[in-house]
Amino acid sequence: MKQDKQIKEYAKKLLQISKDGETLSEEKVEAVLKSLEANPPRHYQAVLKAYLKLAEQDVARSTALVDYAGELSQAGLDAIQSNLSSEYGRSISVITREEPSLIAGVRVRVDCDVYESSIASSLASLESSL
Amino acid sequence: MSSVIEQIEQQIANLQTKAVKSNTGKIVQVADGVAKVDGLSEVMYNEMIEFPGGAIGIALNLEEDEVGVVILGEANHLKQGDECKCTGQLLSVPVGKGLLGRVVNALGQPIDGKGAIESSDTYPVERIAPGVIARKSVDQPLMTGIKSVDSMIPIGRGQRELIIGDRGTGKTSIALDTIINQANINKVGLASGDENFRPVYSIYVAVGQKNSNVARTIGVLEEAGALEYTIIVSAPAADAAANQYIAPYAGAAMSEYFMHNGMDALIVYDDLSKHAAAYRQMSLILKRPSGREAYPGDVFYLHSRLLERSARVNEENGNGSVTALPIIETLAGDLAAYIPTNVISITDGQIFLETDLFNQGIRPAVSVGLSVSRVGSAAQIKATKQVAGKLKLELAQFRELAAFAQFGSDLDAKTKSQLDRGARIVELFKQPAFSPVSIELQVAILWGMQNNYYDAVDVSDIVAAAGSVGEFFTSRKESLLDSIRNKAKLDDTLNDELKKAFEEWKPTFSA
Repeated sequence: MKQDKQIKEYAKKLLQISKDGETLSEEKVEAVLKSLEANPPRHYQAVLKAYLKLAEQDVARSTALVDYAGELSQAGLDAIQSNLSSEYGRSISVITREEPSLIAGVRVRVDCDVYESSIASSLASLESSL
Repeated sequence: MSSVIEQIEQQIANLQTKAVKSNTGKIVQVADGVAKVDGLSEVMYNEMIEFPGGAIGIALNLEEDEVGVVILGEANHLKQGDECKCTGQLLSVPVGKGLLGRVVNALGQPIDGKGAIESSDTYPVERIAPGVIARKSVDQPLMTGIKSVDSMIPIGRGQRELIIGDRGTGKTSIALDTIINQANINKVGLASGDENFRPVYSIYVAVGQKNSNVARTIGVLEEAGALEYTIIVSAPAADAAANQYIAPYAGAAMSEYFMHNGMDALIVYDDLSKHAAAYRQMSLILKRPSGREAYPGDVFYLHSRLLERSARVNEENGNGSVTALPIIETLAGDLAAYIPTNVISITDGQIFLETDLFNQGIRPAVSVGLSVSRVGSAAQIKATKQVAGKLKLELAQFRELAAFAQFGSDLDAKTKSQLDRGARIVELFKQPAFSPVSIELQVAILWGMQNNYYDAVDVSDIVAAAGSVGEFFTSRKESLLDSIRNKAKLDDTLNDELKKAFEEWKPTFSA
C-alpha cells in the first residue's frame, strides 16, 4: 500500500517536470524517459505505468474528442474548440471521429465531461422518460 | 391540427439544439456489489451514480484517483470498462400517505404486487437531523398497549426507545404490539371526528431478516387491521449489503414526511445489529480501515445520525414527531458489546428483555431493573401516573426480596405481603403477543391492583382475573372507559365509579 503511494508520488513529480507551462512537452517527456532508462528507479515498470496513466489523464484534459454523425463543418469545430477553451480556461485541441451510432449530431468528450447533442441520446432520454 | 404539427416541430428543434453535459467515469473493478470507478471528477459524497442497465449506485469513497461506488441491487451485468455517470442528485425515495399499507424495498419501490405507488413527493434518504431550535420537548405519550411498558417505561412522541434482548425474547412482538395499538387508537380517534386528534402512522423497517419473518409480520399487521396505517420497508437477508445499509435511512425519510407535515410517526428499525453488520461488510469491501470487532470507525455515527432524525418539532418546522423504536439483538445478554453500548448511549432509554423471564413464562419479558425511559413521566397521562406511580419501585423491591427469600423459610409478615403483592404485579403484567390493551383499560386494571381488588384472587389466577376485568369493562362499563380516556386523570367521581365497577365485577369472577 505504502509502495503504491510512493510510486504515485514519484510519477506525479515526473509529470510535473515533463510540462512546459500547462501542457506536456514532447521534448521533456523524451528527456524524462531517457533519464529513467539510464538510471532505472526501483519498481521501474510500475513507475512507468503510473507515469503513463497520469500523462494520459493530462492529455485527456486538454483534448476534446468529437464524435459526430452527419456533417460537421470546420466553423462548427472552431466554435467547439474556442468555447471549450474558454470554458476550461486552457487550450483545448480537437480530435474528430465519425460515429454513425449517434444517428445525427455530436458528442464531445473532455476528460470526464461529456457534452452530447445527438438524436441517439435524445431518443434514449425519451425512452427512459416513458 | 396545425398546433399539433408545430408542437412536434418544436420537439424536433429541441432535439437538435439541446446539449446535455454529464460527468462520466469508467468501471475499473467491480466485485461484491462495489465498483471502483475511474473518472467522475465532479462526483459528490453520497451522490447517485447511474450505471448501464438502469443500476444505481452511491458514491461512498472519494479517493484521489478513483471513486468507490456501492451498487444498490443487481450488479451482475456490470463489467470492467462500463461507463457510468453522475446524476447530481442524492438518493431519494417516494414519501407520503400513498405508501401506507404498502411493502417497499430500500429504494421505495413496491414489492407487494399491488401496483405503482401513488406519490409525487420524494425525500432524500440522508438528511440532517432537526437542530435544537426546531425541536420541542417530548411531552405527549405514545401508548404501546403493553401494560408493563406504558406504566413503568412510558414512551413519548419524538422519543427514541431501544428494544434490546437476546434472540427469541419478544423484541419484534413489542414493536408490533405498539404498531397495532397505534392503529387501534387511530381507528377510534378518526371515527370520533375529534379535530385535535393526531393519528400516528407507523413505518416498520426490516433489515437483514428472513423473508418468511417479514411475511409473518405483514400477516400479523394485516390480521390486526394495522397495515393500512403502516409502511413496511423490507431489506431482507438476501438483499445486497448496500440495500440493507440504506433501508433504515429510507424509512427515516418516509417518517420525516409525516413529521414535516404536522403528523406523528412511529418508526421501528428491526434490527440495527444486522444493519451494523451490513455496514461492516460494505466498509470492508470498500477497504476502509476497520476497528473494534472489525466495524469501521464511523459505526457510531452510522446510528447516531439515523436516530437523531427522530424528534418532535415545533410549529414553524412542521409540528410533527417521529418516535423511533430501534431494536438490538444481544448475544447471551451481553449489554456491554460494541453496538449495544453505542445504541444505548444514543437512545433515550431502553426496554431490556430477559431470556430467563421469557422462559419462566413472564411475557413480555421486560426486565424492570435494566429498563428505563429517560423522558419518563413527562410522557405519561395523569391517570397512569396515579395508578402506576409506585409500581416500578414495588416490583424492583420484589425482585430483590424474592432473591433473598430463596435462602430462608421464615419471613416476617411485611416481607411476605411484599412478596405476595410483587408476584401479583408480575402476573398482572403478563400479556399475550399482538393484543395491546387500551390505556383506559390499563388504568382500570391497575386501579384494581392499587386498591387491592386482586388480593382475594389466587396468584395463578391473576392473568385470568385481569382478562375478566378487561372483558367486564369493555362490555359493561364502556362509558366509564370513555370518561377515563377523555379526562385522562382520575378524580373523585371516576374513583367512585371505578370502585362501584370493581364491586360489581368481584362476584362475577370465579377462577
